[in-house]
Amino acid sequence: MKRIPGEEKLELAISYILIVGVLLSVAIEAVGIVAYYSSNRNLSIVFQPNLAMSGADFFGYTNSVIQGILLGTWTPMQILALGIILLMITPYLRVVASVIYFGFAKNTKYLFITLFVLVVLTASLLAH
Amino acid sequence: MQFQDSGQACELIDMLTVLLMSIFAGFLGALTGLGGGSIMIPVLVAFDVPVKYAIAASMVTIIATSSGSAASYVRERITNVKAAFYLEMFTIIGAIIGATITSFIRPRFLYFFFAAFLLTSFYGLSGRMREDFPKRLRQDRFSKWLELKGSYYDQAVRKTVRYKMTNAHLGGLGMMVAGLAAGMLGIGAGAFKVSIHELILKMPSKVSSTTSNFIIGITALAGASVYFASGLLFVGLAAPMAVGTTIGAVAGGRVLNRLPNRFVRYLFLVIVFVLIVQMLYKGIALP
Repeated sequence: MKRIPGEEKLELAISYILIVGVLLSVAIEAVGIVAYYSSNRNLSIVFQPNLAMSGADFFGYTNSVIQGILLGTWTPMQILALGIILLMITPYLRVVASVIYFGFAKNTKYLFITLFVLVVLTASLLAH
Repeated sequence: MQFQDSGQACELIDMLTVLLMSIFAGFLGALTGLGGGSIMIPVLVAFDVPVKYAIAASMVTIIATSSGSAASYVRERITNVKAAFYLEMFTIIGAIIGATITSFIRPRFLYFFFAAFLLTSFYGLSGRMREDFPKRLRQDRFSKWLELKGSYYDQAVRKTVRYKMTNAHLGGLGMMVAGLAAGMLGIGAGAFKVSIHELILKMPSKVSSTTSNFIIGITALAGASVYFASGLLFVGLAAPMAVGTTIGAVAGGRVLNRLPNRFVRYLFLVIVFVLIVQMLYKGIALP
């Protein structure tokens, strides 16, 4: 049984993307929960339509959250949102990494397979 | 669409409660390949969280559960990434359709779909508890063309297991259905994916559960993108769930490869049974 040696590199890259993305997003969410508690003095979960993640498409929403944080006008909810955004971007990035890998490896079959996944996900994230 | 609790703070649980329950759910979810979400949704609805909010939050959470433990399985080379790349083409399409249906459907249906869906996976595996590793098989041409084969080191039996897969076309169709259920119910649908991997594609048990785990992350992202657009995603619920399930899932992932396949299967069966009972009860008891 032969394997293309480079495939191990892709697996390693994917493994790092996943673990770094998850750890970072979990850390940010933990910070967000603490920030939420220190400003509200409780940890209650409120279901209000205007508190749902929505507005623009995913990329536009991400942009507004990041801008809020960079401008210093952030709220604890935005920190929590940033964690969730990072979480959603993590598997997206591993698809991007796979597309790049199969492009370089000249594996047309799997280039198209991973590209298909990337295009569908991007389209779905752009919808709102 | 209407939500009985909209605009109010949830009285029965707060972020800390969700966090603690999620740790336990994440641990069991990783061991069984179910994912923390399918355990957390029945728990959340028991605390009167509107089912659609629970589904949407769970969908995002699953990305963490999946990726947290998938990272170690991929590095240990148990996961078959090529099979995953091929199969996730089908699951993401299914998930987008499924999540769109849930955004519009009446909540009561979701409880019954949840229970009915879990029931199918329960039957799929209980019939073949004895066969641990698939025997040599002939690959069909399409599966061979897709390079669907592999090997991994199994710590429980201390040897390298080599395997080939077959029926890739049927597997793809099955995964579309799995994706549909996953997107619709906010779960990884790991149970159903594992059944397809083992019964149709003939993957060994551990390759099947770890590859399913890997695919779940992308499928969940596809579903989550729809819930994001539908305004059903609440960070106050999703964030503590994601933190908790990730901690639990990483812990579970460290234990899995040391457990015999049979133990993993029995654990799976018991948990699925409990979840079915809870969701049926909730669906019938709904006013």
